[in-house]
Formats: sequence, structure tokens, C-alpha cells
Amino acid sequence: MAKKVVALIKLALPAGKANPAPPVGPALGQHGVNIMAFCKEYNAKTASQTGMIIPVEISVFEDRSFTFILKTPPASELIKIAVGIKTGSKEPNRNKVAKITKAQLREIAQTKMPDLNANDIEAGMKIIAGTARNMGVTVV
Amino acid sequence: MTTSWWEIKINYIPELEDNIFWRLQEFGCQGTALAKEKDAWFIKAYIPTITKEAMDLAALSLWLKQDFILEGDNSLDISWKIIDDEDWASSWKNHWQPMEIGDRFCIYPAWIEPPKESDRIIIRLDPGSAFGTGVHATTQLCLESLEMRLDEPEKELVIADIGCGSGILSIGARFLGAKQVYATDIDPLATLATKENSELNQVNDIQVFDGSIDQLKLIPGLKFDGIVCNILAEVIKTLIPDMTEMIKPDGWVILSGILVDQSIDISTILEKNGWMIASLWKRGEWCCLNGRRRQ
Repeated sequence: MAKKVVALIKLALPAGKANPAPPVGPALGQHGVNIMAFCKEYNAKTASQTGMIIPVEISVFEDRSFTFILKTPPASELIKIAVGIKTGSKEPNRNKVAKITKAQLREIAQTKMPDLNANDIEAGMKIIAGTARNMGVTVV
Repeated sequence: MTTSWWEIKINYIPELEDNIFWRLQEFGCQGTALAKEKDAWFIKAYIPTITKEAMDLAALSLWLKQDFILEGDNSLDISWKIIDDEDWASSWKNHWQPMEIGDRFCIYPAWIEPPKESDRIIIRLDPGSAFGTGVHATTQLCLESLEMRLDEPEKELVIADIGCGSGILSIGARFLGAKQVYATDIDPLATLATKENSELNQVNDIQVFDGSIDQLKLIPGLKFDGIVCNILAEVIKTLIPDMTEMIKPDGWVILSGILVDQSIDISTILEKNGWMIASLWKRGEWCCLNGRRRQ
């Protein structure tokens, strides 16, 4: 019989650098998950992507064992890489920091499609464009 | 020492998840968590209270409000409170029970009194924020490998533990009869944990250094009979030349923290550096390589 899932936790963490500090500790500790074991496994599987944020979805079972799957990086990370900026604008309405093309939006949407709440690529691009705008990145 | 944290809680809107994440990251939060509470999903993020004040959180709230409105959503629900490290650190410890490993070891959490007599070697541990509780497959494989390597107590072996974490392998090596153990870790919390756990187990002669194997290279004439290193494959790859330099002619190495599909890479590098692979032990998707220096 399949084990019962008691919690589904999603974390967005720096690749290769998970440690027991928050958010990992509070998120997993309350479910009795061995925090160090999770960190070690996450770090091993993401070490080659150091510098990126790699979200992870963790299923915790009733016996406190767990499995996880890695997700695609957040749109903001992919936008920063695509337009070559380290940070976005704190005042996106006034200060624009970069421009992104529709082709770049499409490429990011394609990468993110498995994890986006979008029915098609156009809807996906709309979500990515929204994130870009809020970062002070103009869509051209 | 305990750190207190701001716990920031925001209602989860799937379409705005990336936006929220970006704002929190810019604010200085290292990662976010998405969790369900009473049928509703929330994003939670954390930041040490020493870096931000309540006024900063109010400013974050305004930025998020602006982001929500720009996307035509007026439902932002944000709150924050202070939590201590202890809140969660202790919660998972409640589930950590004594555990037998290999033929000879039994690991006891520091807060559980061990029996006065046992046919096993008892290691008492409080890992703090460091790695190494004995629960992970790689720690078990390393301890079992140490049992195999240190079965001749008449030899006065000098051992290095690179990336010592909680100190579990250093203490295990010492209990198995190693004459001297040198432990290093780049994480100061880990070296602190190793020192504290050494005292807890009354093996106060373990030499603990902040840093990596390069710190041990500074000690004139120091060479090892054996090196144990349970970190990650990517890091191990870079350390193999230094390990080769620091090992005695007939020395051995125990390497773990390696996923099975990473073992070929590590084996190849070892062989290129003059080692032969004596064994590869697997547990789940993890493995442990036992190597010996080619004469």
C-alpha cells in the first residue's frame, strides 16, 4: 500500500547551499523530517547549478520519510540572466533597469511551462511579462 | 547561541508567486516556503531580526501591495512575527532516536541518556546546525568503512576527517583506535559542533581546524594513514590532489556524499591521481568509495 502523504512543502532555495536555517528548518522540522538528510540530498542534486535558485517540492509521508522533485528556477532568476542584470528596480514604475524582448519572454515561458499556472504559451508569457514589469524590466 | 528570525507570511496567489518570490529575495530572504494552513496556502519567508526592523517589513508590505495592484489583484494579506531557532530545531529532534550503525556503533542523541553498559560503541551527538546525525546513508557508509579500515588497533593510525560536520566520523575513528584524528570544516558551526561533541564523548584530543585540508598542509611533516571525507562530489573532486599529497604511501581514503551516478567521475579522478578503488558500497542512491594509494 502506498504511504500516505501528510504534507506537501515547496521551498525555493539557493542551489547547493541548503542548510538547516530557515526556511528549511521551520518548514521541515514541524513535520519531523530529518533536516540534514534533506539538505545533503538537495545540495548534491543541485550543486552543478550553484548561483541559481532551484525550487523543490517535498512530499512528507506519515513515517516522516520524504521524497522531492526539483522545479524550474523562478521567472525573476531567468529574467535576470536573460537581460544581464544582478538586481531589479525597487521602484519599477519610475526606474527601469533593462529591456526584455518578446522572444526572450517566450523562451522563459517555455522553460517555465511545466510549473506555470498557464494553459498555453501566450498565457505563460503574460505571467512572465508581469514579473518583468514589477522588476523594472520593460517588455519591448 | 540562538538567532531570532522574522517570519513573513503572505497569502498565496499562484499567478503572483514569482513576483512575491522576487520581492522577498531582494529583501534579503534566503529562500521561501509554501505551506498549507487550515485549507489555505501561504508563502513564508525568513530573515534574521538583526538585519531588518519592523519598519523595513512595513516597506516590504507596501512594495508587495504595489506589485499586487499592478497585476490587478487587491487581496494581499501579509503578516510577520518573531520566531526563535529553537522553535524548529527542537521539533525535529523529538523524532531522532538511538540508532545502531554497522557492526559496532550506536548513535545516541545528546539529550537521551545512554545505557551504562552496551556491547556497542556509543557515540553521543548534538549536531546543532551541522551535518552528520548518523541517519543519512553516507554517514552510515563512512562509519562502516571506518570499522573495516580500523580493525587493527595495534597500528597507531593518524586520520583526517575533511568536512567533519558534527564530528561523528572523527569521534568514530578515535573510538575505533585511531591514535590521532585531525578534523576540518569550512563551517564554523560545524567545527564548534565537533569540539562540543568530542567533549561530550570524552575524546578531547581530536584536533579541530576551521577550513579545509589546506589548513592541515600547513602543519610540517603531517601525513595521514587514512582520510575520510563525506561532503559532496563536486567538492571532493577539487580536494583529491591535496589528499594525494597528504597521504602516506600505503594510505587509504573513504569518500562519500557521492550519488551513484557521480561515482565514475570521482573514480576516474582518483585513478588519475595514483589511487586504486578497493570497493564501492551503495545504499539507496548514495555510494561510498574506498580507495588505496597505489604503491
